[in-house]
Amino acid sequence: MKKLSVLVLLAVLLTLFGAFGVVSAQNQYEGVVIDVLTFTGPQIAEPLQRHAPAFQEATGATVNVITVPFADLYQTILTDQATGTNSYEAFVFAPQWMGDYVSGGYLLDLSDKVGASEELAWDDVGQFFREFSATYQGATYTLPLDGDFHMVYYRIDVLEELGMTPPTTWDEYLAIAEAANGMDMNGDGEGDFGSCIAKKRAEQGYWWIYSIAAPFIQTQGTSQGAFFDTETMNPLTNNAAFIRALEIYKATNAFGPADELNIGVGDTRGLWTAGRCALTVDWGDIGSLAVSEGSNVNGLTGAVITPGSDMVLDRATGELVACDEMTCPNAINGINHAPYAAFGGWSGGISAAIDPTVQQAAFDYFAYVSAPAQSNVDVTIGATGFNPYRISQFEDLAPWVAGGFTEAAAENYLGAIQASLNSPNMVLDLRVPFNQRYQQVVLDEVLSRFLADELTAEEAAAEIEVRWNEITDELGRDAQLAAYTATLGITGGN
Amino acid sequence: MAAASELAAQNKSHSTDTRPLGERIGSWLDAASPSVLLMPTVLVILLLSIFPLIASLYSALARFQLQQGGFAITFVGFANFNKLLFGSEARKTLGRIGELPAWSWIVLAAFALVMLYFLYQHINRNRVGAFSSIGKTIGFGMGVFWRVLTGIIATFFVFMLVGGLYSDRGIPGTIAVTLIFVFGSVALQYTIGLILALLLTQDIPGKRFFRIIFLLPMMITPVGIGFLFRMLTNTTVGPLGPVWQAAGLAQFSMLEDGGGARLAIIIGDVWQWVPFSFIILLAALEGVSRETIEAARVDGANRWQLFRFIIVPEIVPVSTTVILIRLIETFKIIDVPNALTGGGPGTATESLTLHAFNNWRAIDYGLSAAISYILLFVVTYVAMVFVNIVRRRVLEAFA
Amino acid sequence: MIKRLFTSNDPFRPSVSTLIGTYAVLGFWTLVVLFPLYWLFVTSFKTPADVNNGPLYIPFVDFQPTLETWNDLLIVQQNFVLRPYINTFISAGISAFLALVIGAAASYALSRFEYRPKPAVIFMFILCVGLAALLVSQGLHWSLAVFLLLANTIGRRFKGSMGNNDIAFWLISQRMLPPVATIIPIYIIFQQLSLLNTHAGMILVYVAVHLPLVIWFMRDYFSGIPLELEESAFIDGASRYTVLWRIVLPLSLPGLIATFLIVLIFAWNEYTFALFLTGAETQTMPLLVAAQNATRGPQWWNISVLVTLMVVPLLAMAFVLERYIAKGILVGAVKG
Repeated sequence: MKKLSVLVLLAVLLTLFGAFGVVSAQNQYEGVVIDVLTFTGPQIAEPLQRHAPAFQEATGATVNVITVPFADLYQTILTDQATGTNSYEAFVFAPQWMGDYVSGGYLLDLSDKVGASEELAWDDVGQFFREFSATYQGATYTLPLDGDFHMVYYRIDVLEELGMTPPTTWDEYLAIAEAANGMDMNGDGEGDFGSCIAKKRAEQGYWWIYSIAAPFIQTQGTSQGAFFDTETMNPLTNNAAFIRALEIYKATNAFGPADELNIGVGDTRGLWTAGRCALTVDWGDIGSLAVSEGSNVNGLTGAVITPGSDMVLDRATGELVACDEMTCPNAINGINHAPYAAFGGWSGGISAAIDPTVQQAAFDYFAYVSAPAQSNVDVTIGATGFNPYRISQFEDLAPWVAGGFTEAAAENYLGAIQASLNSPNMVLDLRVPFNQRYQQVVLDEVLSRFLADELTAEEAAAEIEVRWNEITDELGRDAQLAAYTATLGITGGN
Repeated sequence: MAAASELAAQNKSHSTDTRPLGERIGSWLDAASPSVLLMPTVLVILLLSIFPLIASLYSALARFQLQQGGFAITFVGFANFNKLLFGSEARKTLGRIGELPAWSWIVLAAFALVMLYFLYQHINRNRVGAFSSIGKTIGFGMGVFWRVLTGIIATFFVFMLVGGLYSDRGIPGTIAVTLIFVFGSVALQYTIGLILALLLTQDIPGKRFFRIIFLLPMMITPVGIGFLFRMLTNTTVGPLGPVWQAAGLAQFSMLEDGGGARLAIIIGDVWQWVPFSFIILLAALEGVSRETIEAARVDGANRWQLFRFIIVPEIVPVSTTVILIRLIETFKIIDVPNALTGGGPGTATESLTLHAFNNWRAIDYGLSAAISYILLFVVTYVAMVFVNIVRRRVLEAFA
Repeated sequence: MIKRLFTSNDPFRPSVSTLIGTYAVLGFWTLVVLFPLYWLFVTSFKTPADVNNGPLYIPFVDFQPTLETWNDLLIVQQNFVLRPYINTFISAGISAFLALVIGAAASYALSRFEYRPKPAVIFMFILCVGLAALLVSQGLHWSLAVFLLLANTIGRRFKGSMGNNDIAFWLISQRMLPPVATIIPIYIIFQQLSLLNTHAGMILVYVAVHLPLVIWFMRDYFSGIPLELEESAFIDGASRYTVLWRIVLPLSLPGLIATFLIVLIFAWNEYTFALFLTGAETQTMPLLVAAQNATRGPQWWNISVLVTLMVVPLLAMAFVLERYIAKGILVGAVKG
């Protein structure tokens, strides 16, 4: 608790310090009220709230943070905007939903503003977030506040004891999980688990399958895409690569808790900090949770880029082929990695339907929260859900050490993040309009049926293909294809 | 309803009525009391039900799409229903039914025979003079028609349940899962609630304590109950993990298997709603006059006779109400499965409302409304059968 | 009298063996009820680490209880918890009371008067035509208007056979459609009427959705009250309202109390309507409970505190009102 309060104090001091930087703009937004909508819980709302007084001090604008339950945020924003209720000036949401909001015309185009803002230091934001996460069809609509992608976490001590190295392929992942399963990892005399992966239905479970499948499917860089064929919009699921991924996904069941099919990401994080898992796949949160109070694995948590594969999909035949220079131009040591930017990182967007002055004020507020002076501290606090997304956040270890990391742990953690972020083959999450129907409804359900042995891997792969195609046809294949290729940065011809 | 005519009558007699104004208003109000008492209810419900009902029916026949600056609703006819009952969602709604075991055919045939017997009874009873006039012919025909329809639907429900649960690779669909929840849960809730209420009408020490304790589960918000049971069923940090382990079931979780997960949800729902039957039945039992019971006792009635002839007639009307309301409410079961299992494993615990909710969250309002209307059809069917057949007959038999 | 108390077939004074059986059943169910609640309650005194480190059962023995979560929610985040708490009192309390008043009146009317709802059908017809015109003018499909007109023609066919039971069934059928089907239209109505994010709006919705319950419960109680009592009052010159207020309501007090308690609990715990129709100022507690399951999974300690907070007022209410339910025995004696 003490550490946290020191950090908060530090954050406040830095905030005040930062506030002097914009002192010239004082009271320019006197009387402006910005209602920011996000989800309930300390992860995002707390830093937004914490920075509001300093921003008000500097500019005169009042910021109210309004929250709704996480599971209903997507719909609340959409309903508010679609019906023209316009109760909110700005939103902090997952950029995955951007396709829907932009196609409804609800979000303000920020392309001109981001370059003009000195405070924001736009070039400091990681390239992936600037060019893919924050943009839609070539225009910038959000300011990243958070960097989200999957990594693999491993127990340094357990791997040492086993004489194994961190996994570079999913086969190695399974081998470590098998070897470690049943070992006592937290010293309570009971056997613990080789691998903990959140597989509960209707609770984010559908992201993990793509962390496994991506290195088999995507080889040519982010703009190749991992979800659909960029010519026909046919899903890339009914093929040997996806079926292989399904088999790996299911194989991890054997090394997890008895109720793994019903545990969510909150449970796996609890199991991790309690020291009961040798391996897990998760967002950046684990790194800072592992060093926070009550953790049994402080200093024992290592992170590494998600495992890859030496066999990849030949999209023409649907079969797996060996990696070579042609098939895997981005391979490292013959292994094709494809870190998955699941969810994409919480970002701020601004309502298109409000007064330009208020829009500018909301923009300045997000720029203020995202500015290195504020965010470089926020990302080191475990209680926030903010994970690193700026280049400067990797360069200075001091805030991390102040946040409770040992220098070695910070280097290891940041190294894994950097390796993922630097990968030209990072996988962009599916961001076509109504992506919730593809992932949250169909993919989630089919995966759960597959895990419950209702479907074989082949049946599951075929079912996803059929039902995704059905959604695409309902929504209009050409429009969906255009949106899909545009999010990948393939703009030519569209 | 009679208000308008009363008012008119009052106006006509205006010139001749010499009573003071206050008294006249009083008597008018008194005469209009049927309207005055019922109208507020009708108005409130009309305001908040007619438009939503029509709008949701329309959206069940339409598709919701986003558009620059707002949204568009496109009429698509029965496409949503088609998808749910015959298209890609049919497996989910109706279930997967494989090779049926031999015994299930016998069950189905027996059930169909019972339905045919009801039909035969109706025809036999009304045989004489059934076609003597047009009105009677229509009445007779309607009777036959409703019985045939009811029988077909009921047999189909039984087929879905048996097929989903017991056929080769069979999986119950969301309709069957909902029916399992409803019948399993309501039967248990009512039975346990009645037993507890009967026990607590006795004069025993600690009566108040039990009464209040037994009400507790109902006071917890349903979302909270879902989380509570998720906490309890967690094998690693839940309190029951060590119990399973002691029983030699270390690698066991009841939520990994479809039947076990459904059982867990029924337990959660029963735990929460026993208090509902309990408190209503308790209030009804307290309404039974002691004097009546004393009098019957003096006349030499034994315990069973007291129960059968004094207590049962008193609680039967309330019981049918409790069951009807719990039937209707349980058909909408969502919070416990949503928080506890999210509908998994597979679709084993996905109720119709959760099915609708999942699509609703993905802004598939059309499909979601269509599922709601399928649910409405099933509930209306079950509730009508309950009100018109079960409730009426039970009331006739006991009251 | 004394002797009678100890005879075995007295239904109010059980014999020793009956007593043991009774306590066994009641004790078992008490355990079933209390164990999950005990777990919830102790979890509110655990730190996240205590929860994650496996099941810990007994405070001070297995783990050191801490007020950290309570402190965090009640002191540090005061405004986030107290406001929804007060809002829940306002919308649930007022709506339960109004639903009871309006519903009991309607219910009494349904059990005493014969209605032939022809005017109602006509009223609905006009309303539907108006709505259809409105919808079509708003650019919705013409087939809807045709459907509405047809629906009413069909509806009028059955007017002859409609009676009180049909009204009652129509009322209860309002609860058959799940909220997800009706919430968006209600949202749009409320937006037009500026009722979004107001207590009045929440109360209106809760009254409407709970009225059918009140009516159905009270109908049974009212029909159990002997008509002779009322008739003798009418002979004495009492008006309908006096009879309802002075004779009928006191006689059905246990039912009224039980119904009030149930409706209060329903409104207190309602989630879907609250989610859509409230904003920052009117948010209620169930939203806060649901919100504890965010990107980091359920925050068990927070959920435990919030659920405990939600249960306490209801428990107090049940504690007070239980006396009145018990008094029903005496009231019942009068009517016999």
